[in-house]
Amino acid sequence: MRSNLFAALFALGFLLQSGFALAHHGWSWTSGGNIDLTGVITQAKLGNPHGVLTVDVEGEVWTIEVGQPWRNERAGLKEGDLSKGVEVRVIGEPSANTGDKLLKAEKIYLGDKEYPLYPDRN
Amino acid sequence: MLEVLLAEVEASSLASYFRVSRWGHAAVSGLHVLGIASLVGSVLPLSLKLLGAWPRLPQAVLARVLVPCAATGLLLAVVAGLILFSVKAQDYAGVGFLQAKLCLIALGAASALYAHRRHGLTLESASRSQLRLHALVSLGCWLGALACGRLIAFSSL
Repeated sequence: MRSNLFAALFALGFLLQSGFALAHHGWSWTSGGNIDLTGVITQAKLGNPHGVLTVDVEGEVWTIEVGQPWRNERAGLKEGDLSKGVEVRVIGEPSANTGDKLLKAEKIYLGDKEYPLYPDRN
Repeated sequence: MLEVLLAEVEASSLASYFRVSRWGHAAVSGLHVLGIASLVGSVLPLSLKLLGAWPRLPQAVLARVLVPCAATGLLLAVVAGLILFSVKAQDYAGVGFLQAKLCLIALGAASALYAHRRHGLTLESASRSQLRLHALVSLGCWLGALACGRLIAFSSL
């Protein structure tokens, strides 16, 4: 009886969870190779613990992981640079699971200006 | 109603500070882990004792140490957890693992409050079967809350 209750609670947790995707820490979940995307930011959620952009890339919705505030700032990005309506070019590694449309950014271009989030990676 | 409250929490100066600070967020995250370590690190041996481990060790001695450590750990984890939550309150509120975790915490805390109010700090007046039930509920709730909490970091936010 009790074990049924716990099983139900755990199952509830998984059922409530939509769009489960391994992400965020490190690079173990990415494909290992860079791709280059250009699109328009439709939503920007910056700030700890992770900054996330939603970008419309020619009609495809991509989720782009950018840096924490300190990393974005170190790259030269100012507050408001990454905001809704801005066209952005992103170079980084996509999720190894290609259906995710999820990419972790290594560098960002706004116009011709480069903002390296991970200067040691290429 | 709830949406408005969550938006207000997220717009607070406390949340705004921890959303951008490099070491502030890291420190609170560390304190959250310390609270969980103290809580689960106390619940685990005490529950095993109530289930019959270390039969020659007096239950009262163990409980007098571990119950306050668990309660202090819970308090620390809750305070630090509320700060972490506030940073992206609207997003976190929709995460299933967090919702499940909060249910388990409520159940675990209610079980502990009930058991200790009824049977005392060291649970001296409880019967063997009552001790076993409380230990099983505690283990399920707190280990389950730990697992759900860890999984929040692996959900898409």
